[in-house]
Amino acid sequence: MVTAFSDVRQSSAAAGPPGAGSDSAPNSAAQETFDLAPLKRVLEEFKGRPGAVIPILQRTQDIYGYLPRPILREISRRARIPLNQLYGVATFYAQFHLERRGRHLVRICDGTACHVRGAAKNIEAVSNSLNLAPGSTSADYKYTLEIVYCLGSCGLAPIAVVDDKVCGRLHADELVGRLEHLE
Amino acid sequence: MPSLKTIAELRQLVEAAQCAARVRARTGTIITIGMGTCGIAAGARETLAAFQEELKRLKVDAELASTGCIGVCVKEPLVDIQLPGLSRVLYANVGPEMVKTLVEQHLVGRTPVRQWLIGSLSSEDGDIRAGCEPQLRDLPLFSKQQRIAMRNCGIIDPERIDDYLGRGGYLALARVLGEMTSDAVIAEMKASGLRGRGGAGFLTGQKWEFCRKATGSPKYVVCNADEGDPGAFMDRSILESDPHSVVEGMIIAAFAIGASQGFIYCREEYPMAIARLQMAIAQAREAGLLGENILGRGFGFNVELKEGAGAFVCGEETALIASIEGKRGEPRPRPPFPVQSGLWGKPTNINNVKSYAMTPSIMTKGAGWFAGIGTPKSAGTAVFALTGKVNHTGLIEVPMGIPLGDIIFDIGGGIPKGKAFKAVQTGGPLGGCLPASCLNTPVDFDSLQAAGAVMGSGGMIVVDDDTCMVELAKYFLQFAAAESCGKCVPCRVGGQRLLEALTRITDGQGVRKDLEVIREISAQMMSNSLCGLGQRTPGPVMAALRFFEEEFITHIDEKLCKSGQCKALVRARCVNTCPAGVDTPAYLALVAQGRFAEGLEIHRQRNPFAMVCGRACPAFCESKCRRGEIDEPIAVRLIKRFMADQAYDKPWTPPVIVSEQEARVASKQRVAVIGSGPAGLTAALRLAQRGYRVTVYEKMAFPGGMMSWAIPEYRLPRKELFAEIDNVRRAGVDIQCGLAIGKDFTLDQLMGPMGFAAVVLAIGAHRSRRLNIPGDGMEGVMDGIEFLYRVAEDASVRAMGLPSNEALPDVRGKRVAVVGGGDVAIDVARTSLRLGAREVHVIYRRQGDDMPAAHLPEEIAAARDEGIRFHTLVNPVEVLGFEAVTGIRLQQQRLAEFDDTARRKPVPHGGESYVLNCEMLIPAIGQMPDVTWLPKGALQVERGDTFTIGEAFNTSRPGVFAAGDAVSGPATIVEAVAHGNLVAVAVDHWVRTGEFVKPQYITPRVDVGQVVDFQDYAGVHRAANHRLPVIQREGSFAEVEQGLDEAAACQEARRCLRCDLEWLDLMKLPRPPKCPEGAKPCLQEESAAVSSSTEAGR
Repeated sequence: MVTAFSDVRQSSAAAGPPGAGSDSAPNSAAQETFDLAPLKRVLEEFKGRPGAVIPILQRTQDIYGYLPRPILREISRRARIPLNQLYGVATFYAQFHLERRGRHLVRICDGTACHVRGAAKNIEAVSNSLNLAPGSTSADYKYTLEIVYCLGSCGLAPIAVVDDKVCGRLHADELVGRLEHLE
Repeated sequence: MPSLKTIAELRQLVEAAQCAARVRARTGTIITIGMGTCGIAAGARETLAAFQEELKRLKVDAELASTGCIGVCVKEPLVDIQLPGLSRVLYANVGPEMVKTLVEQHLVGRTPVRQWLIGSLSSEDGDIRAGCEPQLRDLPLFSKQQRIAMRNCGIIDPERIDDYLGRGGYLALARVLGEMTSDAVIAEMKASGLRGRGGAGFLTGQKWEFCRKATGSPKYVVCNADEGDPGAFMDRSILESDPHSVVEGMIIAAFAIGASQGFIYCREEYPMAIARLQMAIAQAREAGLLGENILGRGFGFNVELKEGAGAFVCGEETALIASIEGKRGEPRPRPPFPVQSGLWGKPTNINNVKSYAMTPSIMTKGAGWFAGIGTPKSAGTAVFALTGKVNHTGLIEVPMGIPLGDIIFDIGGGIPKGKAFKAVQTGGPLGGCLPASCLNTPVDFDSLQAAGAVMGSGGMIVVDDDTCMVELAKYFLQFAAAESCGKCVPCRVGGQRLLEALTRITDGQGVRKDLEVIREISAQMMSNSLCGLGQRTPGPVMAALRFFEEEFITHIDEKLCKSGQCKALVRARCVNTCPAGVDTPAYLALVAQGRFAEGLEIHRQRNPFAMVCGRACPAFCESKCRRGEIDEPIAVRLIKRFMADQAYDKPWTPPVIVSEQEARVASKQRVAVIGSGPAGLTAALRLAQRGYRVTVYEKMAFPGGMMSWAIPEYRLPRKELFAEIDNVRRAGVDIQCGLAIGKDFTLDQLMGPMGFAAVVLAIGAHRSRRLNIPGDGMEGVMDGIEFLYRVAEDASVRAMGLPSNEALPDVRGKRVAVVGGGDVAIDVARTSLRLGAREVHVIYRRQGDDMPAAHLPEEIAAARDEGIRFHTLVNPVEVLGFEAVTGIRLQQQRLAEFDDTARRKPVPHGGESYVLNCEMLIPAIGQMPDVTWLPKGALQVERGDTFTIGEAFNTSRPGVFAAGDAVSGPATIVEAVAHGNLVAVAVDHWVRTGEFVKPQYITPRVDVGQVVDFQDYAGVHRAANHRLPVIQREGSFAEVEQGLDEAAACQEARRCLRCDLEWLDLMKLPRPPKCPEGAKPCLQEESAAVSSSTEAGR
């Protein structure tokens, strides 16, 4: 059985993209519906296993792209884990996101090797051309730009990861070009 | 694969796999592509697709296989090709466009493509023939490596358990389960001396023993694969390239400890490592190597993979345990240690990936074998991810105890682009950096710690001169502070406060007190933080302060970041790096508009020798030019030369730069400058511009110092030089030649009866060092400076229209040997050739790249072009001959350990020597100031006879100052000019107030509007530097460099990226208006805006 319900996102200034007021966000973003069926399967799989909180949250995020509040509530209720514990874990680890993310995740590495090989220039170029501050999502939910520390491909520094594709030995222009061509 | 029931079955399976591997190598044509994360990022998938297509097209029967990472990350995608019975030949940087050639030539034509290959992978197997290509193990990149943890990396397909078995995989497990007790395994581990490769270096065998003896059940074995250090990817690579080695190591550990459950905690940022581990675990389970009753030995063990969720602190073992338990990854105090009370309160053994990966080899080859590698206290090998400013970035495995410098310069291939090594950071953001003086430090746990760094888990980041150590320390702090879990106060608050102090310094707001603050907070954090993260967060900044304190102080006192990284302090890197601080972007922008006179005026404010430096400056500005990162640096020196030459026949009278009142007061004082080189003349000029009456005393017949007495005419024609010296005279400076201090007058006389308020000693460094070998006083031996003097005297005499004298050294038809590798040696060599020498040989004791003259690569190239021969790594030991020189005996040298300049010291190489016949020998092995005139103890001097000076260039006698080469030892013209500027300010201040202050030479900053659209010049390459054809240089002292014409100079100037304008944006200062380009861009007068401000001009 598929249960769908909607949740009105609380728009907060901090969550909005820079330069775009929260009221300029597209309407589609304000309302989202969630399919609970895959979540139930995940909860079933981890039922009774110790130390399951992190894997459950990881799988949940795989399904929904982030950890929506109603879903966290749903996990808490069904798996009998206090919501505050879920929230504590979700906010501790960098992997988890409580806000909706862009369709394309652009992660620019500012790890040491990339840093000494000019990562800052790439960050600046992308940030300028997409009009997007590091750590934010564009108003149309097309891009999310993140600065990350070391993705472990230092031999190819400076690198960026665009939707899980690692792009090495990057020039700022190349990277910007690649991003602009994404659907 | 059938589930194995007994040890015998496992042995049989391994044997079968090994046999199959041999057959495959003998009969198969195999193309193996490196498909690690690095390889795929570099395009290995595209390469693979191209191979598939090409094989199909040519109907070639070959197997396509994939492998992990062999460690040569910089050359990904890597492909190796094996023909039946031949060894595997490894190719570098194989893009899809190369595939056709490889298939046609190597697979079809059976001829390896020489220019693309790195070497061949030797096999231990006797029946594989090596090709004629170099063996990988003989290349510097590999010859000093020894692979244990990485034994299979880049060789096997990590996704096939058969490949692992084919290399003898799981034989260690067979031995352990078949022949050993748990206690024997632990004893073997202890005897091997393996110390935890996660970084702390605790004895692994001992940890296992503690865990075995601990009470509690079940027990757990955990593999820490939460490799979070930026710049470290050893564990990822091993997991991706050889996951079974880790699984096998864990099973052995579990057996030894008595554990039934294992966890691998791997960071989620490593999706490929996770996928391959999952696959390896499943394969091992299917084969019966994991599960209940393994191989019928009544021992059961399972492994589960836990994905981390992105928290650096989870690399700390107690935080890691919390994370596996599903909690926030916060550490807790120890004891109890995890071996007593770990996961869910049960005894838990946690080791790093590499420790487990090494375990099978220890079990098969024995503890004695492992303990025999490395040093007594750090046995075995260390795996490093070598990254940063080093040529061969990648993954290496070396025996413990190898000197740090061997890793960076032999395996790593040195620093790219000929830049200088500055430091190496080990241990990541919680480690420390080590400078050039530590390059001989053996790499092992204890030596690195003693030197001030840590072993860490294996990150090794090399940085060059362009890296600011303050900024680097700040970067690491930023990382560590952001990753603080926040549980304990010293780490949470201390990290932030440290970061604030460092940010103040890099922003130019720092004060000396900040250094105290940093030291105090660091001490508190180190002793009071809860876990290793907080305790070691101050590590990088403390190490930087220990070795590079001077750099912090320059940031604080002078607001100067010499490496050009701290944006707020660096208006443009060219200005920043110029010793004299010449406002390069301003005059380039003016030249771009054809406004040469205005550009020259700006130049002269900081350096009056534009024509000279346009010819003989090493142009530090060009080496730091940002344009060089795109294509080639701006040809600043040639533009300067063109700009300055336009004013050759327009005499310049330097203006007075102080108020009339101040000048009137100053004019009552006289200052003497001893020496008329660039330092002396600049000091005299700047003092005259402040109103002083200045007399320069020069002992030679003509002024100019090294500019006129050492730099040959073909590099620096005399008329331009004398024109610029005349400018100094026009400022009112009285230059008296032929008068020497100590002979014609004394210091006491100057300060007393002669009535000078202050004296500046700018006597240069003219005294040649002697060879100090038998026969060095023989006829035919002439020191380099003396040689150049005689030639220069002739040049100067001719420039004044007098007939040539007969003092020229006679080298005609002779074979000349020059000893040395500096500018003087190269000048002597090229001059000898022009004077008619038959052959000229340059003898240098180090290797060619280490020559001091290598900072002017064009000079060395020109010398080679002209036919000069270089002999490197040889040292003269005896001058041969009876009455006159007939030859020189040269001793072969080899390079030994590193000195403080990151160059290897030459030492005699066995007893090998040979004779170089020559009729003239010219030593040019360095100069020092000539202080033989100085009464003993009159002034304090350093070793090497340079004057000891204070912050204000003040010598040990009040009123006597010193500057230039006499202080710094032999340096460049522009550095001498910088000294001249500064010493004048210091003298002025002292004469007025009697105080010594650290001088600052301040000129207005000039912002010039951009005239052109930069896009139009994005594709323009650096202007060619035209030189006189070699044939025309013979016997001629005509200037070799021809310079630029007006159009070329203007165009070259327009290539400038105008970093100075970006800096204005950064500092939120207004940009000067952009000026439209006129119809004739190079017109003299154009209505474009020049705005000036009064801020300091660096």
